[in-house]
Amino acid sequence: MNCDEVISLMGADVDGEVDALRSHALRKHVAGCPACGQRVEAQRALKQALRTELPCHRAPASLRERVAIALRAQVPAQVPAQGHAHSPAQSRADRRWRWFGAGALAGGLAAALLWFAGSLWHPGSFGEDLPTRLVGLHTGATLGHRLIEVASSDRHTVKPWLSARLDYTIPVLDAADAGFTLLGARIDRLDGRPVAVLVYRHRQHMIDVHVRPLAADAPPADVSVVRGFNVAAAQGAQMSWLATSDLNAAELAAFVSGLASGKLGPAGG
Amino acid sequence: MVHLDAGYNLARWLTHDASDAQDVVQDACLRAMKYMDSLHADDGRAWFLTIVRRAFYDWLARNRPALLVHDPESAIDALADEADNPEQALARKIERLALAEAVAALPLPFREVIILRELEDLSYKEIARIADVPLGTVMSRLSRARRLLQASVALRGLGASSAGDGA
Repeated sequence: MNCDEVISLMGADVDGEVDALRSHALRKHVAGCPACGQRVEAQRALKQALRTELPCHRAPASLRERVAIALRAQVPAQVPAQGHAHSPAQSRADRRWRWFGAGALAGGLAAALLWFAGSLWHPGSFGEDLPTRLVGLHTGATLGHRLIEVASSDRHTVKPWLSARLDYTIPVLDAADAGFTLLGARIDRLDGRPVAVLVYRHRQHMIDVHVRPLAADAPPADVSVVRGFNVAAAQGAQMSWLATSDLNAAELAAFVSGLASGKLGPAGG
Repeated sequence: MVHLDAGYNLARWLTHDASDAQDVVQDACLRAMKYMDSLHADDGRAWFLTIVRRAFYDWLARNRPALLVHDPESAIDALADEADNPEQALARKIERLALAEAVAALPLPFREVIILRELEDLSYKEIARIADVPLGTVMSRLSRARRLLQASVALRGLGASSAGDGA
């Protein structure tokens, strides 16, 4: 592979859209070509900057209301003509499907429309707003260089620092044995309240773990994906644990459930 | 509400305006109800974004027909009329802007692929379906859009060091 080919392919390669064979050839060329090395690095930096800097606009509440009203107005006109809705294959794994599909699975189109409209009024507590906000906090913290407010790998330093700033205490685990290095902690505001954030690193991946007292609407153990980041939830020790990272979903889920159950490395207290 | 947020985000980036974006998304939701039969379980978000995009171009044709450009080449020409090399002129113009503004200044065919790729994290295949263009066109438009944006990143000194997580 020559420089011109690298230049035409490097964007797609950074996007993970180049097949393994050509990707390997590209890497081989880049390893021996400083100019192309810089080009590829610049592509990565741009991609990272776009992902962290571009504002992601969230639908305002007024839009949800407008849409709900408009859809409700459609219901009587649509139902007699359509009869039964189609019955697509059910996929429990795909939470996104719920948004449009759950009503249709339950019965006729009328139910689908009402459910659809209703869902606009009452967005669920998880798989929707919370992960998006967590990813926003995570990328915001990474970008603003305020990822860590107390830098310490010693849980006996981190825990009292957090306790002094919150009206609850959390178990802080040293997960180094499992390959997760405790870097420190910070406080984020989530739903208007200060929340403990433990910051870990696993290989090259930074992980934010938001820990707050278990509430009735706390998300169950699950993973959602927002803008390429994974958000894994777990419950344990009367706390709700939410890990946000670009680490893969399986490892992140295992890590957060380990933290929640206190079974990662030596138990903390 | 992942889909409504995603739809609104796309509409907001395409229209440049919060209230126009709301009109587009409302129209898209009504269309979505009509086309529900074409929805498959595995692509709810991409499916909805396709509808939002179509609703946007219809809205554009009704409200800002002058901005409707079918040819990406002429989209660049239209934005950079002063120079003999429009792409260079546009790159110079973009250089002076912060990254978000630089994205907002991209001609539509390039802006939409950047938003779908970097903010919505969609694959080239999904983007090709949404934008109704061949896969190769997605790749070349993304690469061209990035070339235009690269200038602004370089200018503001966002190098590899600040892009990583550090430790």
